[in-house]
Amino acid sequence: MLRGAEIVLQCLRAEGVDLAFGYPGGAIMPLYDALRDSGIRHVLTRHEQGAVFAAEGHARATGRVGVAIATSGPGATNLVTGIADAKMDSVPLVCITGQVRSSLIGSDAFQETDVFGMTLSLTKWNRLVRSIEEIPLAIAEAFHWARSGRPGPVVVDIATDALKAKMEFAGPVKFQPHPKPADVHGDSTFSETLIALLETAKRPVALVGAGAKLSGAIADLRQLLDHLQIPTFATVHGLGAVPVDAPYYLGMVGMHGTRAANLALDETDLLLVFGARLDDRVTGDPTRFAPHARIVHFEIDPAQLDRVRPCELAVIGDLAETIPSFYDEVRRVSSPDWNSWRAIACGPERAEQDPRGLAAPAIRFLDELFRRLPQDSVVVADVGQHQMWAAQRFRASSPRGFITSGGLGAMGFALPAAIGVQLAKPDTTVLCISGDGGFQINIQELATVRRLGAPIKMVIVDNKYLGMVRQWQQLFYSRNYAETDLSDNPDFVEIAKAYRINGRRLDEEAMSEANFAATSQALDSFLRSPEPEVLTFECHPEANVFPMVPAGARLSEMVFEE
Amino acid sequence: MQTFHIHYRNTQGTLMRILNAASRRGIDMPYVQAIPNEQAHAVTLLLDVNPKQTGQLCRDWRAIVDVMNVRAGAVATEMANPGAWTTPHPPASVSASGNAAHSAMA
Repeated sequence: MLRGAEIVLQCLRAEGVDLAFGYPGGAIMPLYDALRDSGIRHVLTRHEQGAVFAAEGHARATGRVGVAIATSGPGATNLVTGIADAKMDSVPLVCITGQVRSSLIGSDAFQETDVFGMTLSLTKWNRLVRSIEEIPLAIAEAFHWARSGRPGPVVVDIATDALKAKMEFAGPVKFQPHPKPADVHGDSTFSETLIALLETAKRPVALVGAGAKLSGAIADLRQLLDHLQIPTFATVHGLGAVPVDAPYYLGMVGMHGTRAANLALDETDLLLVFGARLDDRVTGDPTRFAPHARIVHFEIDPAQLDRVRPCELAVIGDLAETIPSFYDEVRRVSSPDWNSWRAIACGPERAEQDPRGLAAPAIRFLDELFRRLPQDSVVVADVGQHQMWAAQRFRASSPRGFITSGGLGAMGFALPAAIGVQLAKPDTTVLCISGDGGFQINIQELATVRRLGAPIKMVIVDNKYLGMVRQWQQLFYSRNYAETDLSDNPDFVEIAKAYRINGRRLDEEAMSEANFAATSQALDSFLRSPEPEVLTFECHPEANVFPMVPAGARLSEMVFEE
Repeated sequence: MQTFHIHYRNTQGTLMRILNAASRRGIDMPYVQAIPNEQAHAVTLLLDVNPKQTGQLCRDWRAIVDVMNVRAGAVATEMANPGAWTTPHPPASVSASGNAAHSAMA
């Protein structure tokens, strides 16, 4: 006879789980009581949001399912932001929450919330487990849906009496989904249609999104793009999918994308989309998005199609299958001559200008930092100006080398996510970049970093503002800096010391030629340290991120300075 | 107006997910009827949607784990003129007396 809690843990082990992040509490106590001999390492964070972001970081770094555990009521509500984040960014995540006793469900019992109802619209699938007998199938089904198709979050909410109850347990079960009639059939002749479209295209381009990474199709995609040699750019989650030194690669596209990428997307007559949602940060004004283009959309999730406008050709399926299938066909035919188009789109006239204006020292600081990183390093960025600077400047060499909260844009993501990444890749340099606002949202996770001794390099780009909001206030709200002033920030170096973590401080003067030798030494020392460290860089309060496509503008209507 | 007929397995939350796909878009649902069935439950919705919303809704519904089939159809008379079966809402008040009322106030 096994307790429900032991059955949950055995089922988790059967799904390959060896690490979970969480925070205990009343209703989930039986599960914690059984953890000791489960073979699952549990990392105690200092807030449930830290746990779910850490689980996300682990999942994003590995492609495996992340696991977060919390108790009922406030424990579960604190998971919600991370669940929404995982939904937006297609991160496989299983959240296990304790629920009040089954006999009390619906009675507004102590620490009871409707976790099932609350997470219904944020998850791919969720389940309220009321009895011990339901546990094995619920866990198996949860992992199936988290991993399958477009990955995403699921929630299993288990009544505490189900965790305490005992039953004979024959072992974990396999979940077999019901056969489902395909809603959009993959057309096996799509290659023929696509080749015909390419043959008539004068200005084709490729847009790479997260789906290319999630499907494990990177090698196939690179092979295809090397063959086509068409101007190519990436969403923020597509960074690292294409080598930055590929002659046809134009960098990031969208609101803070490169000039070359945005102009090419605006001018194209054939847009090949590989695993991207085409959200508003990528399209600008959707009514004026790629106005001359026919769209070919490679996508695993039919629900993502036609969100901006109908595509000419939808290629539904796993990119790991559809891209090689297309490559096999397209390599047998000769491509049209796109040299003159490529020369314009990738030419020197559209090359990025050197950083200038008030942001130049901060960007130079990041450049110096990134230049020193070992090849396989992972940069975990929070949300805001520093995130966009990092996305613009970090030359990710691996598909999972740049991790951030893209769709939801959840400040406070980076520090706990970096913990998950560092545990997944203990021998890799993990650089966590936050703003002064975002760092304080989950600053309590410094305690988790210290306890683990995780050698995360934590950089705070401190402009003493909620910088991105302030930038919008400057540009679009007549410099009315309403409630974005953080000039009374704490001393982050002292905060780090209080957590027994070494801290350093640099400012813009450190980037001057006169001080640069000392700065170089400080950066080298910071990155080489085997211990976690915090480095604060104090930048100009009114430094801005450019280029910028104002909200509602066309991609070609980029702004380059104040 | 457009009607939609959706067959689904009646697992936890599936009907709510179907309705949520419309409500999250701020689309009113003047007519909803769910019919139980041993094999596949069915829900019929009447929605005021444009062609783009129709496409998005159908794709979202098909992506729900236990949705089996989605099809759009014509508007039936009883949907377009639901007055015959509607009752006042909220229902006429009932005098709250006895133990139930005392329990609620405790």
